[in-house]
Amino acid sequence: MKKKLLTRKRLLQLISALSIVAFFAVWQIIVDFEIVPNELLATPLQVWKLLIVKLYNPNPDGALLTTHIWVSVQEALLGYLLSLAIGIPLGLLMGWYYVIEEMARPLFEVIRPIPGVAWIPLTIFWFGIGISGKIFIIWLSGVVPCVINSFVGVRMTNPTLIQMARTYGGSNWDIFRKICIPSALPMVFGALQIALACCWTSLVAAELVAADNGLGFLITMGRRFVRPDMIELGMVMVGLTGFIVGLIIDRIEKKLLAGIRR
Amino acid sequence: METDSTIVVELPPVQENTPTFLESLVVELPPVQENTPTFLESLKIILMRFHFLSFLSIALVLTFWHFISVYKIFGGTFLPTPWAIVQEIWRLMHQELIGKNILEHTWASLHRVFIGWAIGCAIAIPLGIFMALNDFARAIVKPVFDIFKPMPPISWISLAILWFGLGEESKVFIIVIGSFVPCLINSFNSLRLVDPALYDAARMLGANRRQEIMEVAFFGILPATFAGLQISLSLAWSCVLAAELVGGRSGIGFLIILGMNQYKPAIIVAGMVVIALTAWLITFGMEHIEKLVCPWRRDIKV
Repeated sequence: MKKKLLTRKRLLQLISALSIVAFFAVWQIIVDFEIVPNELLATPLQVWKLLIVKLYNPNPDGALLTTHIWVSVQEALLGYLLSLAIGIPLGLLMGWYYVIEEMARPLFEVIRPIPGVAWIPLTIFWFGIGISGKIFIIWLSGVVPCVINSFVGVRMTNPTLIQMARTYGGSNWDIFRKICIPSALPMVFGALQIALACCWTSLVAAELVAADNGLGFLITMGRRFVRPDMIELGMVMVGLTGFIVGLIIDRIEKKLLAGIRR
Repeated sequence: METDSTIVVELPPVQENTPTFLESLVVELPPVQENTPTFLESLKIILMRFHFLSFLSIALVLTFWHFISVYKIFGGTFLPTPWAIVQEIWRLMHQELIGKNILEHTWASLHRVFIGWAIGCAIAIPLGIFMALNDFARAIVKPVFDIFKPMPPISWISLAILWFGLGEESKVFIIVIGSFVPCLINSFNSLRLVDPALYDAARMLGANRRQEIMEVAFFGILPATFAGLQISLSLAWSCVLAAELVGGRSGIGFLIILGMNQYKPAIIVAGMVVIALTAWLITFGMEHIEKLVCPWRRDIKV
């Protein structure tokens, strides 16, 4: 039997690859043939060239690309870890203890609808444009999904298990620690990626408004100098770095929690 | 002899305690009280009802806030008192700031949100469904979409300003992008979330292909699609704020950046209160519409 050379699956993969190539080609061509002026849109080649140049030349925005990435990643991770450290325990406790839920809930409900972006002006008043203000904004946007997910996780605990533990004489704290937390874990893991996405988005917002380096700052500077290649490089790097950080977190999560995850 | 060899198991009588109406009312109370409650215990029960603790916590926070800002614990005048903010909102409702009072600024933002959101969803939902139905469309669109997906919509602001200037178009553009992504993802996944048993049931009852689409798939994808609409609307609301922070002459985001530039924290906090209220109203409204549109959707509300 002769194996079919072009299966449907292969064909689809081929089309996908062609589609990406076509996308970049069209992007290049519409600028090259001046359908879109070069002041408004840089070609992929220009972005690539700038990427290489920015690796050794800090001009015109005053820092290397690697510095920008490093600063952004640092801020995002600090805010992210802080939001995990506070959001997850708070959400778990809110799910189980009535008093904590009643006390924390109104505050949480007030803070939840305010997007992280809206905190920027106030944070600049409080913290200046340094790293602490940005971490505060990132923390605020990351903490919300953490609290919600771990809260829902505890609430979704199978009531039969809780009743069983109670029958066997487990104390409130025992039930919380040995039944509610493990059963909430899948939801908590779900929060890790959601919170990361929230943190990364608000990081860019914070840097767009006030910063002295970072990827968002690179984008702002590109606008100031009317350098679309710089803006596009910044955007691509934001997307790429966010994607890579997400992958790394996912990998760590799978390694560390391989035994617990169902 | 015979009776000795067989083992007679006496089952305990089955306890049937179906709660009466009155009992079902007190079921939610914490531990069952054996004696008549003492004064402290009854106080505890009262505290647990009526969200007393919630009010207490709000009152505590407002008090702390007041004293922090009155005695300038963190130094400076960076935090106005709660009462000052209420006054500020009242003032801004009657006095115009750059040609608009606070309600008109809010409306300016909402207006942009609705236009951008409607455009974004109008493109994303059909595209998502088409991608789910057609392998070739998916093969073409998905890789390009995956390039754009990880970029936060806010990072488009600079490019949008470069392309469209500081006017309405750039803000609407950002909102279109912001609401496009979650909408597309949800409507793309929605078809897969439809329970296959529903199709089987419909087919067994003699439905043809058209009826399967119109009467099963259509209603099956509604909940996920609606969730996409909801997510994208709240994302659009934060996008418009970001866009107005960076550049604009009206809108609630512009208002808070104006407060920053004029060094008036009261305006900022007043703006934030209005933002929270609006966001809350949006969520509330969407939830109600959702209940009207797809009442069969059940999930855990936080």
